[in-house]
Amino acid sequence: MKIILSIAWRNLWRNKRRSLVVISSISLGIFAMILSMGIMNGMNRQMVENTISTSLGHIAVHRAGFQDNMKLEYNFFPSEKIIAAVEKEKRVKAYAPRIKSQCMLRSSEASRGVMIVGIDPEREKKLTKIYEYMLKDKESAFLSGPGDDAILISKSLAKRLDLLVGDKLVLMIQDREKEIVGVGMTVRGLFESPVDSFDQFVAFTGLSTLQKLTGLEKNISEINILLYNKEDVDQVKAGLLEGLADKNLEVLSWKDMAPSLVSAVKLFDTMMYIFFAIVFITVIFSIANTLIMAIMERFHEIGVMKSIGTRPNRIFSMVMMEAAGLAFVGLAAGVALGGAVTALLSVTGIDLSFYMESMRSLGTGSVIYPAIKAMDIFMAMVIVLVTTIIAALYPAVKAARIKPLDALHYI
Amino acid sequence: MSIIAIENLEKEYNTNGIVVRAVRGVDLSIEPGEFSAIAGPSGSGKTTLLNIIGGLDRPTGGVVKVGGRDLSSMTAKELSDMRLQRIGFIFQAYNLIPVLSAIENVEYVLLLQGLGKEERTRRARAILTEVGLESEMNRLPRELSGGQQQRVAVARAIVSEPDIILADEPTANLDQATGAGLLDLMKGLNNSKKITFLFSTHDPMVMERAERLIYLTDGSVMSDTKKARGKRTGRSAAAKKRAPAKKK
Repeated sequence: MKIILSIAWRNLWRNKRRSLVVISSISLGIFAMILSMGIMNGMNRQMVENTISTSLGHIAVHRAGFQDNMKLEYNFFPSEKIIAAVEKEKRVKAYAPRIKSQCMLRSSEASRGVMIVGIDPEREKKLTKIYEYMLKDKESAFLSGPGDDAILISKSLAKRLDLLVGDKLVLMIQDREKEIVGVGMTVRGLFESPVDSFDQFVAFTGLSTLQKLTGLEKNISEINILLYNKEDVDQVKAGLLEGLADKNLEVLSWKDMAPSLVSAVKLFDTMMYIFFAIVFITVIFSIANTLIMAIMERFHEIGVMKSIGTRPNRIFSMVMMEAAGLAFVGLAAGVALGGAVTALLSVTGIDLSFYMESMRSLGTGSVIYPAIKAMDIFMAMVIVLVTTIIAALYPAVKAARIKPLDALHYI
Repeated sequence: MSIIAIENLEKEYNTNGIVVRAVRGVDLSIEPGEFSAIAGPSGSGKTTLLNIIGGLDRPTGGVVKVGGRDLSSMTAKELSDMRLQRIGFIFQAYNLIPVLSAIENVEYVLLLQGLGKEERTRRARAILTEVGLESEMNRLPRELSGGQQQRVAVARAIVSEPDIILADEPTANLDQATGAGLLDLMKGLNNSKKITFLFSTHDPMVMERAERLIYLTDGSVMSDTKKARGKRTGRSAAAKKRAPAKKK
């Protein structure tokens, strides 16, 4: 088989230009595949990370039913047992209590329904990136403590409500007794996150302030938890469920809380595979065409090989090896090029700020950092090899079936 | 026992509804160690006859036995194995594998036979030395002259020590001196290794050196002369029908 391999390899380079064109098309296909996979991975990762870092955390403990109906009545007291269960888990990096409720913000110019979140600012700094998203203007500042009665709103919401830092607004909310209560609040600071929907519909105030306003006293809506490693989510969630052993509480992962995000990631992945299918169908025809041309050129030669006793299976193997040679060279070049460019872009990022609004609505941020996964490279290799085998089958069978006499007469 | 035995061989080609009888009722017997040539004008059926003997083509009628085996009963795979083990081919256009060096071309046949690397190399070197190409072993076919390429083809044909070598116009692309040298080489191998050579040719030099000359016309054997004995050994039934017996 070694000499068949040797013949196949040397045959590859008999028409260097043609082989290089095919190798280029394979390597460009792989390059495009790795880079687009990297970009898609980066977008997906940033979408997920941004959602986790702005609002969800990795895991949340709620009163059962809160996720389906985010109303104030679904509250609970963060007992020592609950806090101990969270603190006992070593994979937990940070946690913070929150109150979440729908409310109406009204300025002198406009009003808007938003989700008001009562936070402990110091704990929140460790849990989410809200503090990092604060505008660095001199006037804009973060909340000073749980009792701070000021409000943080996004830059875009401030624009809609025609407010500046230091301006007053009225927050109207339904309290525990289902009475509408209102309070004047000063805009302490403005933030701008990479997620447009978050900026449009979320505002922050002090946890104690909101507890007092709504009459929840020491009760809260949720405890949000951040882990050191996102991959531990399911294990930690299961551990907490077991540790809490309270039917009145629900423990949800970010996937449970943002199913539409999970669906979006799956949708993007599916779209990517459709794109790859189109690219590699083109590659199949390119390889098949090249091999058929190569076989037609060597029709006579293959006839000679068969006439001196080469069996059809060896001719078949020879053509398959030629295809594999094309694939391996193209694969090596494509993986090297795609890997290098994606690795470089994963550091520099791809600035898509000219699509700022679209990127913000996707929740990715305007700079995408492609991410390579070993599985992607493996998938690229498998797809190319399978594609090559499919592409080479017809030419190989055709070559194996050449009748030596017909070929000997063919000049 | 004859190494090649042909009885009433017929071969017809149907090209676009036109039937061409390429071989008509040929009877022929080749003994082991013969150095014979089939001659005749173009289209007389020489190459067709050689192809059928080599199992590259199937007859329309009649029987062809090589080494006692009836080729009509053999599958394509068996024919392929027979060509590999028992028959060596030499073609007019040399037909070496262009990406393999001279020694690799010779080794290729041995590799198909399943011989180990060491044995392959030893035999290929020996045979290339025997045909006078010891210094050209590692050259590609395109780096060799026509005569040298044909010597490699001869080496490839004989390296597996087949019973028969079928040579289709082996000197047609060579100048007279090179052709004569090649014929000397093949005659030497015929003498030393007792390999049966059967040529198809219209080169007068080959006809002159062949020990037996079978002359075909329109697919029939018109004459069959063993020169050593200096007499005709027989004619095909078809030839007898088509032409009256010549006077001796």
